[in-house]
Amino acid sequence: MTAFDTDVAEVIVAPRKPTAPSRRRRGEPVIQVTLFVIGAAVALPIVVAIFTSITPLNRILSNPNSVWTTPWTFDNYVTAWTATPFGRFMINSFVQTGLITIAQVLFSILAGYAFAMFRFPGRSAMFAFVLGSLMVPFELTIIPNFVLISNLGWANTYQGLVIPFLASAFGVFMLRQFFMALPRDLYDAAKIDGATDWYYLWKVVVPLSKGAIAALTIFSFLGAWNQYLWPLVITNEESMRTAQIGIRFFLANQERATDWGAIMAGATIVMLPTLIVFLVAQKQLVKGIAMSGLKG
Amino acid sequence: MSQATVDTTAEEAISPPVRLRGVKQGGMKAYLYLAPTLIVLAIFVYFPIVESLRLSLNRVAPFGTAEIFVGLENYTRLLQSSEFWNNVLVSLFFMIGTVPIGIAIAVGIGLLLSYPVRRLSWAHRMLVFVPVVISSAIAGVLFRWLYNPVVGHLNTWLGFIGVDGPDWLTTRTWALFSVTVAVMWRQLGFNVIIALAGLQQIDETYYEAAKVDGASTWHRIRYITLPLMSPTLLFLFVINVIISLQAFGEIDILTMGGPGQATENLIYSIFVDGFVGTRFRGLASAQAFLLAIMIIAVSFIQFRGFRKRVHYG
Repeated sequence: MTAFDTDVAEVIVAPRKPTAPSRRRRGEPVIQVTLFVIGAAVALPIVVAIFTSITPLNRILSNPNSVWTTPWTFDNYVTAWTATPFGRFMINSFVQTGLITIAQVLFSILAGYAFAMFRFPGRSAMFAFVLGSLMVPFELTIIPNFVLISNLGWANTYQGLVIPFLASAFGVFMLRQFFMALPRDLYDAAKIDGATDWYYLWKVVVPLSKGAIAALTIFSFLGAWNQYLWPLVITNEESMRTAQIGIRFFLANQERATDWGAIMAGATIVMLPTLIVFLVAQKQLVKGIAMSGLKG
Repeated sequence: MSQATVDTTAEEAISPPVRLRGVKQGGMKAYLYLAPTLIVLAIFVYFPIVESLRLSLNRVAPFGTAEIFVGLENYTRLLQSSEFWNNVLVSLFFMIGTVPIGIAIAVGIGLLLSYPVRRLSWAHRMLVFVPVVISSAIAGVLFRWLYNPVVGHLNTWLGFIGVDGPDWLTTRTWALFSVTVAVMWRQLGFNVIIALAGLQQIDETYYEAAKVDGASTWHRIRYITLPLMSPTLLFLFVINVIISLQAFGEIDILTMGGPGQATENLIYSIFVDGFVGTRFRGLASAQAFLLAIMIIAVSFIQFRGFRKRVHYG
């Protein structure tokens, strides 16, 4: 199975349509309603959070179900934004996520190209080295990495947040599979025309692989934005917290004040970038995930 | 985000025929392209394995930061401590609670979603998929609000049907269950996508044939769908076991391992020993090693399982 079997992915995103009238079975309304109830139940925690974030605190505390009715307000966002440096947390997260994403995509393109196009001594061993790293659980590396980064004086810095995650073995594997599926003739033709590998990679391979690179970019972005354990241990200054860690400490502080409106406003701010990615790039995201399960 | 499934035997088979001219020069160039990835993986993935083993054989001196070699003492201490076995049990309960039920729910929803319907299918899918982008921290925060015993939605809804909801997060009986639900919820989007991908690969003609033979819906699911999607089920099993063993964010935000140690799994205990009190770094490394062995063992099931028992359609 190739890394990108678009036919299968297509039907996950755009569901099968009934082909003939005979396929429209009597059970359809029941299935529709069942699916709607399940879908609503799954999305409910997110919906509750968003509605709570726009309801005045006194109404939330007097009756949780009042969040479904007006009047709504943005006061909770003002409270959250002023009670804790959420702006700073978001900037930290964007810097950390941006650097990790750019590096993972760039390094994966380079390594994926080398594995797909070059024959060189040690290629199989190097490929096993890259893939083997996927087997190493994160817990095993976190204590030594913490010791190393702290000894370098990089605790509470962007380098400390970013550098351990610059490479993505998953990304290398995924792009290698994709690059190998490109027609070999293209490469030969480019070589005959005198193109260097560097030129061929950026002018031919990358433009032809936009879909795969986009999927990897989304994965890297979500993975980095949602990181929790590493930013938690490597930062202890408030000014260097990422959004996820910021919301953890904000929750601890505000819960004593039972300001659930502000907490939910904070949670909405933190998950907003990922929800936007979901809405804008759902096809790429869902396809990419489906591929990771089909490759076996 | 997700573990790639690796098929090393296919690697050589699908390599393109490469001209051998310029091998020497190509070698140098290849390593230039590979250098960033290889260096980062060597320093931050492979070196820590060795370092972790070394740390697990040492302990930090009672005063100061000197390390004392203690051999296997950290390991023997762990195996004799009831706390460690509690943490192992919590990890196992977590696994038993999330994996079979999580997969069953995902396959059930996948089956419903693969039913050809005319309208709103797109919207249904998006609603079910959305937890896939939610972080463990946010999942923790959202469920902490739902579980709130006084003003939380869950107990308010239960009140409508006359049930007096418990104190979800602070009673020993309910805390582990509550955290399990939150972890399962966040994993659901991913599982449904994978299950649906597996279902869509099954050839329609099998179903047509079965229908001609008069097979009931249940029989079609039992004798066609489940056997033919067994590679997908195995993949889901392995990934979910690994993820359940690594559950951390939800626990940290919902219960911090409590009440008592009712929700303290191995990874949370590594965090407490290794980072809350750095004095127990050796002990934490030993636990990390034992957890890693468990996770790698499960990963190997996938390789073995793919060769045997699993049916390829």
